[in-house]
Amino acid sequence: MTVNHKIRQFFFPSITLKFLIRVSLVALFAYLFFGHLCIPFSIQGISMEPTYHNGRVNFCWRLRYLFSEPKRHDVVAVRFAGSKVMLLKRVVALEGERIEFRDGKLFVDGREIEEPYVRYPCTWNLPPRQVEKDAIYVVGDNRNMPIENHHFGQTSRSRIIGGPLW
Amino acid sequence: MVKKRYFLIGLLIVIIGSVIAITVFPSEEKRVRKQFNLLSEWVSKSPEENAFVMLQKMRDIGSLFDEHCELKTDYPSLSGSYTREEISTYAGSTRSHVSRLDLKFYDLQIVFPEKEVAKVTLTARLTGRSTAGEQMDEVRELECRLKKIEKKWLFSAIEAVEVLRK
Repeated sequence: MTVNHKIRQFFFPSITLKFLIRVSLVALFAYLFFGHLCIPFSIQGISMEPTYHNGRVNFCWRLRYLFSEPKRHDVVAVRFAGSKVMLLKRVVALEGERIEFRDGKLFVDGREIEEPYVRYPCTWNLPPRQVEKDAIYVVGDNRNMPIENHHFGQTSRSRIIGGPLW
Repeated sequence: MVKKRYFLIGLLIVIIGSVIAITVFPSEEKRVRKQFNLLSEWVSKSPEENAFVMLQKMRDIGSLFDEHCELKTDYPSLSGSYTREEISTYAGSTRSHVSRLDLKFYDLQIVFPEKEVAKVTLTARLTGRSTAGEQMDEVRELECRLKKIEKKWLFSAIEAVEVLRK
């Protein structure tokens, strides 16, 4: 078999039963993997700046919390009605903890939490509130905006569908 | 050989018949889905839209709603019972303040809890630009209730689901 023939065979393969089975298996694997396990998404918005930039592409790894629970400082994907639109946020408090913001600083159970990922100035003030059972508290890294313009708060654990791959 | 030909012709007739039946007599789920497609199309606005099209769309939006529709959103000014005329007027007023508007629905889950009643959970995303040049990007999970009245599925209740609670 000449090299030319091999190249032609690679780009224009003969439609045999074996070839069709192979193509179907690859398509099925791609559908299951990229449709349900490792969902590609494009970041739209600036709420996670500077950690995640607007317009960048990433993947949501659905098995991230299959055998573990989200921890503080983890970045998680929060679903709406399904997985087509998700929020990318950082976990700052867990079930039963009391969270508050004082002059832009995060306090959990009265103790100040170091947040090296928050790079922009923040002046938020939020009175203390308890995270409910089976819930976690999530906030974006970019808090350089009025508190009422930032989409954050506690959400049910069942809405956490995974985390970004990187 | 003849038998095989008859079999193939029969199979072809069944396939064509099924396609025609699905197209001409869509399922109730498809009819409900179509109402969301129409709402999305009529709420959306392109910068080139003229006054005539705007008035037509405003009237069309009202025709998708029941005589009285219950709205429950996180905007106090948009919660309560509204007539279809009030919804038309509200939509027209909102659309006049934007130069571009795009409403998209994702992850529709349709169930029929009672006869002639459909409950739809979905993610709605509204993006656009106001006439003052301000960007808009709002995402909400919605629970919608539609009733079948005179063979038409009409919106009778729309409620915004709280995903994150400060």
